[in-house]
Amino acid sequence: MGRTLRESTALVYGAGALGGAACLVLASAGLGRLVVVDQGAVEPADLSGQPLFGDADLGRRWVEATADRLGVLFPGLRVEARDERPEAALDPALLAGAGVVADCTGRFSAMFPVNDAAVAAGRPLVHASAVGLTAHLLTVVPGSTGCLRCLFEGPPPPGAVPGPAQAGLFGPLAAFAGALAGREALRLLAGEPPALAGRLLAYEARSARSRSLPVNRRPGCAGCAAAAPPGGSP
Amino acid sequence: MPLTEADAGRYARHASVAAVGAEGQARLRAARVQVVGAGGEAGPALLCLAQAGVGALYLDDEADVGPEDAPGWLYGPERLGELRLLAALEPLRRTGGPLRVRPHGTGVDLSAALIFAGTRGIALLAADRARLAALPHVVVEPRGEGGRVVSVPAGAPCYRCAGRPVLGGPPAPGAAAAAGLLGALELLLILADALPPPGEGRCLELGPAGPQARATVRRSGCACGRPPA
Repeated sequence: MGRTLRESTALVYGAGALGGAACLVLASAGLGRLVVVDQGAVEPADLSGQPLFGDADLGRRWVEATADRLGVLFPGLRVEARDERPEAALDPALLAGAGVVADCTGRFSAMFPVNDAAVAAGRPLVHASAVGLTAHLLTVVPGSTGCLRCLFEGPPPPGAVPGPAQAGLFGPLAAFAGALAGREALRLLAGEPPALAGRLLAYEARSARSRSLPVNRRPGCAGCAAAAPPGGSP
Repeated sequence: MPLTEADAGRYARHASVAAVGAEGQARLRAARVQVVGAGGEAGPALLCLAQAGVGALYLDDEADVGPEDAPGWLYGPERLGELRLLAALEPLRRTGGPLRVRPHGTGVDLSAALIFAGTRGIALLAADRARLAALPHVVVEPRGEGGRVVSVPAGAPCYRCAGRPVLGGPPAPGAAAAAGLLGALELLLILADALPPPGEGRCLELGPAGPQARATVRRSGCACGRPPA
């Protein structure tokens, strides 16, 4: 508490449309340091949603293209680009150095490890995901609210839930969800009450309908069992 | 205008969304959208429209890039003092794809309008102009924790029917971006013909808990309900 935004660090997993928008919201507000983690190279399909990418970035590493464009727009922002799989970049020291963690990977294979690591480190976490025309957001305050595993004990069996590869992903919807995640991360960094703590928000764009589902701490949750006490901002 | 092979790769994820499909993406490709306002609050939406595959953007703004606009999604600090209308061209063209970006749009056969107006008076003027031209349009009003987005498909109750916005303070950090992106999303769904049912207008209030939508109802006697002269 008492740390300014310029002195704060946000750790964003995912450098696609969700993560790009979240990074831009954080940067625009005056964040001091941003760590972006993802592994992959820019493909044509990435250009329809990630607001930091352009044609000249085709073939470049996601995190490098993200960091370079952020550097042009926000020269005062320190960006650390980590070109690695999110689920392999969960060392406690990395998480301990962040005031907030944003999971913008949109992949079950990364969501649960990121959840577990953030909860274990006592770091507030904002989950954002999108598929088709539906977005989901959830804020986890370790030791206080339920976590992703309180809601879904673990990832679904492969193929059980259609992802963007099957159901598509409308880039503008993903960017909107990423912006909401960035806004929520800013609340957490400022010490304000998070809007989505312990609540899963689902927004369906065709009907413009928002639904909110409480996420209570589940006794015996494997994720919460390893929770560190809620910590102040590093 | 069918999608090219390059477009098909670029917009593969959009075409896979059942409500959009290749047909919807082709409609975006053919769309010519006027955007009223090119300041910092419109930046996220402008990038969104460009990347979504809109065929042409026509920018309508008379102001210079100011401290409230840069640094931001569209303008770096080096753009301070430049005419927004011109400063926006490079970052939008940088996104690539089939996009053409031009100033104004007078004399162009437009498809739709997205309105970011600094005042209610300007919003009314721009919305009335779009309605009289039978253009679907969306008005974005960022404020407080989010703001309001008024979506007006062709023939739907107009912006005036949505009533006055609730007074609120300046947008909180990140809130304007979210409101602008929500407005762009609404307009793109109209253009792609992805909204059910056709012709229904709606007003979305964006707050901390997400968007809350209500259908707009035509006010008795409103000019938008009269047949065109």
